[in-house]
Amino acid sequence: MRRTLIQLFLVFAISWGGAAWVAAEERWPKLGLDLAGGTDVLLRAPDGTDPALVDSAVEIMRRRIEAIGGVQEPTIQVVGGNSVSVQLPGVTDRERALEAVGKTGRLSFRPVLDVVFIPPEGSEPTTTIAATTTTAAGTSTTTGVTTTSLPAVSTTAGPTTIAPSTTIPPTTTVPGTTTTAPATTTAPTTTTPIPTTVPPEPTDPDLDDPTQEAILTGSVLAEGFYYRLGPAEVEGRDISEAEPAVNPSNLTWDVSLIFKSDAADRFQELTKRLATYPTDSLQRTLAIVLDGEIVSAPGIAADVSPVEGIAGGRASITTRGTKDQASALASLLRYGALPVLFEQDQVTSVSASLGSDALRAGIFAGIGGLALVAVALILYYRVLGLVAVLGLSVFSTILLSIYSWLGNSEGLSLTLAGVAGLIVAIGITSDSYVVYFERIKEEARRGRGLRGSVEEGFRRAFRTILTADAVSLLAAGLLWALAVGPVRGFALALGIATMVDIVVAYLYTRPATALLARTRLGEGGRFSIRGAAGVSAPGKARIA
Amino acid sequence: MSLWKRIYRNETQIDFISNRNKGFLISGILVAIALGALGIRHLNLGVDFSGGTVVETENRSGADTGEIRDALRPLGLDAATIQLTGQGGTGIRVQTQPLDPEQEQTLVEAVAEVAGVPTQEANVSSVGATFGREVARRAFRALIAFLVAVTAFIAVRFDWRMALVALVALLHDLIISAGVYAVTGFEVTPATVIAILTILGYSLYDTVVVYDKLDENQKTLGRRKSYAEVVNVSMNQVLVRSINTSLTTLLPIASLLFVGSFLLGATTLREFALALFVGVAAGTYSSIVIAAPLLSLWKQEREAPAQVPASPPRAAASGPRKGGPRSNSGSRAPGGRRR
Repeated sequence: MRRTLIQLFLVFAISWGGAAWVAAEERWPKLGLDLAGGTDVLLRAPDGTDPALVDSAVEIMRRRIEAIGGVQEPTIQVVGGNSVSVQLPGVTDRERALEAVGKTGRLSFRPVLDVVFIPPEGSEPTTTIAATTTTAAGTSTTTGVTTTSLPAVSTTAGPTTIAPSTTIPPTTTVPGTTTTAPATTTAPTTTTPIPTTVPPEPTDPDLDDPTQEAILTGSVLAEGFYYRLGPAEVEGRDISEAEPAVNPSNLTWDVSLIFKSDAADRFQELTKRLATYPTDSLQRTLAIVLDGEIVSAPGIAADVSPVEGIAGGRASITTRGTKDQASALASLLRYGALPVLFEQDQVTSVSASLGSDALRAGIFAGIGGLALVAVALILYYRVLGLVAVLGLSVFSTILLSIYSWLGNSEGLSLTLAGVAGLIVAIGITSDSYVVYFERIKEEARRGRGLRGSVEEGFRRAFRTILTADAVSLLAAGLLWALAVGPVRGFALALGIATMVDIVVAYLYTRPATALLARTRLGEGGRFSIRGAAGVSAPGKARIA
Repeated sequence: MSLWKRIYRNETQIDFISNRNKGFLISGILVAIALGALGIRHLNLGVDFSGGTVVETENRSGADTGEIRDALRPLGLDAATIQLTGQGGTGIRVQTQPLDPEQEQTLVEAVAEVAGVPTQEANVSSVGATFGREVARRAFRALIAFLVAVTAFIAVRFDWRMALVALVALLHDLIISAGVYAVTGFEVTPATVIAILTILGYSLYDTVVVYDKLDENQKTLGRRKSYAEVVNVSMNQVLVRSINTSLTTLLPIASLLFVGSFLLGATTLREFALALFVGVAAGTYSSIVIAAPLLSLWKQEREAPAQVPASPPRAAASGPRKGGPRSNSGSRAPGGRRR
């Protein structure tokens, strides 16, 4: 008796407490786009695409979507091996969204011709380039440290350099030498050929054509600084491998690069030419551009000779960063380029108003459905109906907590199809009560005592419930595994709810009914269990 | 005693077996109508299966189809399917062939303009034709896998004849539900597929509950009664369960149907709920009227020569708990010899 009470108390504490916590913390289940509004894109890579390739494409898309800004919580995930599902809540600018996810990344290696300062809008116009570069160099000189406040220059020739592969110690870059190079001289001014008075227009990153000259910037440059870049001479598709690797000389992380054999010569030619510039020259810099953005701009290491360049198709970029930074750059190099040509399988955009209409309809229907079921169960099963109604509250609060948890930790969102699955599950869980209560009635009519009926009834009913729920679970599991899109949301909701049903039947319904059978509500009056069974207690006159 | 009271006390004595032909006849007519409708009208496959672009907006300016068509003519899209949706044409729905992104954008702008709403408020859904086929193909594959798995499950848990009969009952429900779509001309969307799958799951679930009872009664009563009698007793016993379960399942669906159609005009929900409603009702009906009588017909035929109470196959069936499958081999053998 006491154990039963404690068990029931725990069930209520966990289920209701969970729901109360969800409500208090406002960690509501995450809503799918069909309920919350937004744009949903499903892309498919050609069959046989390397899964790692798809993963990196997802990374690139994420970066691009972050660049759009204003997207609350984009969900980008690989589904079914070679498809990518992109969900952009609140995004109604369809065109922009499609561009961000659909376009393939194009990576190129381009020589830096020149640095350009274009003041951000609103500030004072036309500062000449020469002046800027001098200042930059000057700052470095005074501080004597490379990581100065002017990233435009310090990042250029500073931390990142490109050198022959680090695997052979003698040829490795000594970061110290290269990084101090710009600080010791004001050479950029002299080598910069064109101090134009008219500030050049930056190239629109979206319109960048790697075969043309362009003026581009990126997060590696300080605000307002642009590089004028020559046409691409090596492109991302020329890279065969890019891996993070430890630099043996100072134990920081580098990115080791291997070019495909047909590109190795071109890369060597390019580096030969760049190496003819003095080590402190800006033109000794190679910009790595992805989709019109400079993602990295390593200088050619000081020990690369203009005669040999970087030969053998192997190079190493010193990042002087953490492993994560090196990995990020490596994956950019590896995959930023490899164009995965996705096909747009499905694009849906739902306005926020329609989404909230559907959500309201779902909630109304759910609550209305639960209320109707509750009334029907109480009318028919009387006090047992009350057990069922409390059970339904346990069932729905547990589901709420599960969806809240899955939504916040796994990013799972509840779609309209999921709501439908849950509504169907209300039917399934009510059925568990119906099966059980009919069993109790049957056992009671056979003349068994009330407690016996309740116990034996559960034993038999639970077997039926398990069998029937097994079919539901089977359906849910197979649909989850084999179907695509909304069907999966439905399958998941059905599967979760069916499992919750089994748990609730065992941990709540059984002890609750057993407890009830011991109280006055078991035997006495029309509202009792005995009354619901429609038979009087053995030896007594019939009530009904 | 009134019928209601008898039902309430599980004291009904309906002879399901003798009346089975009536049930078969009704089902036969329904299935024939459904098949006819499917053959003549076909299913109205939605954009998700055929590929294409659908733009839906609120019709704030009250435009009629002619005006919308005129607005689309400059884009060369006047062949699009244009519908006014909602009560009194409060919504616009335009469906076209698959378009490229630019065409799509101009279409959305044109529709939004004629409807008098900002472009962002339009709902747009476009599906590549290959993807549509893929969805349909995968759904079909899932369906087949599901049927095989469930048949195997029932065959192991009960017996293989029950599994086959359950499949027949399932087909009955599916055909009738699909027929509803053909008759009403509702668009078949992924939501429909979900509804159909639900029906499938539900129909089997219900049949399994009936079988469970049958299996149990066969063990306890099998020695004394013929299979048909056992079926009859079981049917009467599960009748209340079936009615109540259908009720508790149909109530939320009815609520979905009602909310979807009258309160919020959410057409997807309405169509979904309608299919579910018909399917679940058919599922309950077929478990009682098709599955059980068919099973008794089949089993009885095999045990026909032994109308004596304790016939060998039934004695085998009432044996140990795992007696189900074994009893088949027992009852099949004499049947096989007879033919």
